[in-house]
Amino acid sequence: MNTVDELALHKITALLQPFNTRNIKISPETNITADLDIDSVAVMDMIMEVEEDYEISFPVNNLLEIKKVGDLLDAIGALRQSDALLQANAG
Amino acid sequence: MGIFDKFANLTDRYAELRKLGRDPFAVKIEKILSATQAVIEGRDVLLAGTNNYLGLTFNDQCVEAASEAVLQQGTGTTGSRVANGTYATHSQLEQRLAEFLDSRSAIVFSTGYQANLGTIAGLAGPDDYVLIDADCHASIYDACRLCGATIIRFRHNSPTDLNKRLSRLDPAANKLIAVEGLYSMLGDIAPLADFVKVKDAHENAYLIVDEAHSLGVFGDTGKGVAEDAGVLKGVDFIVGTFSKSLGSIGGFCVSDHPEFDMMRVFSRPYMFTASLAPSNAATALAALQEIDANPELRTTLWRNAHNLHDGIAAAGLSLGAAPSPVVAVKMPSIEVAAYAWNLMLDQGVYVNLAVPPGTPNSLSLLRVSVSAAHSDEQIETIVKAFEVVAHELGVHPDQQRGLKVSAGD
Repeated sequence: MNTVDELALHKITALLQPFNTRNIKISPETNITADLDIDSVAVMDMIMEVEEDYEISFPVNNLLEIKKVGDLLDAIGALRQSDALLQANAG
Repeated sequence: MGIFDKFANLTDRYAELRKLGRDPFAVKIEKILSATQAVIEGRDVLLAGTNNYLGLTFNDQCVEAASEAVLQQGTGTTGSRVANGTYATHSQLEQRLAEFLDSRSAIVFSTGYQANLGTIAGLAGPDDYVLIDADCHASIYDACRLCGATIIRFRHNSPTDLNKRLSRLDPAANKLIAVEGLYSMLGDIAPLADFVKVKDAHENAYLIVDEAHSLGVFGDTGKGVAEDAGVLKGVDFIVGTFSKSLGSIGGFCVSDHPEFDMMRVFSRPYMFTASLAPSNAATALAALQEIDANPELRTTLWRNAHNLHDGIAAAGLSLGAAPSPVVAVKMPSIEVAAYAWNLMLDQGVYVNLAVPPGTPNSLSLLRVSVSAAHSDEQIETIVKAFEVVAHELGVHPDQQRGLKVSAGD
């Protein structure tokens, strides 16, 4: 895991902590809705916080593909990469 | 794994809620007596959760128009307008709506839900973006799924966040921005003038405003929040429903865009469903006439809204927004909300229980919708019932004063 991933994991872990009622260790393998006490709207709100930090917009369409914390980390990485490409092309 | 297994979590939560008293999502209205009264559990109950903002469901002119339509045009249309024809009443209603909202044209849908589905899914396609306010109604989320566009959620009532997200998108792409006038859960209103400014600052951006809860309620002539904010012409598409202030069922969209009527042949939720029953269309027409003819309905509604809001706030309960015809009383948890909801009905007052995930910010709420048909005495009765709730929760100012005195002793 690179530094950006670690930072993102740290951020996501903090955001998910209020929903971690069984006090499990949150890792990339954690299944967001099955392992935590969180509903679909709260997941979207949590993602909004992540979006703010990384200045990305995460399409709601792709939410169904996000099962684990690791899936979210991958999606953030991919979005940052495509945004960087877009900006490079525009420049 | 069975097909229902995925609902296990929800089933458990629903069962827990029912253990706290009645089933809040299956209240049986045994007999409806008026716009504000019904028989529930064999006794008269004051209705304070109906969305019947103008109290028109028993209005003489509306009842007469509906009855006449049934007698003259029958009970239903039995088909879609595309395949089975448009009734004269549909066209009259569309013309009247366009006039009322000062728009070029109007399209009527069979429900308010379908109005959002039909408009958004009709307008946006796979190459487009739809940007939705985080607190938008389920019908807007469902419309987004249907249209295949890329869906981006922005912070509730934040033109700044919308602007930021629009700036990240390809200027050449079409961008449809969806917000509501009055939000149905917390009763807060959208800063429409600012949203229009943001929309105007971006190429190929369009604004759709759902005035479901604000039509007939906001604005000098009841056109909604866009009229109230002075930006009626800055909004590209206004969606609304007949099932709230108009006391009927059905929905609509109006627009000035000359190509708008093409939606009739490519919006699937418009094409592949039976059209509005003549009695529903006639009721909506009569209700629009009542809105025009009786501006005092809005005056009474707002007076009631302020009195109720102030009364509940004075009881020490926390409210969701500034006074509006939707008064949301915040509860500390789902369990307390369910307990308080039961307590309200025990006292003969029906309000709505709203719990996550159907609410913003995971809030648990007792939601009240005010009506112009509520009398001053009825508003007082609702306030008194909330005072009992406040006492039970230990937040009533009388109790706080008592505690302070005790602490001082």
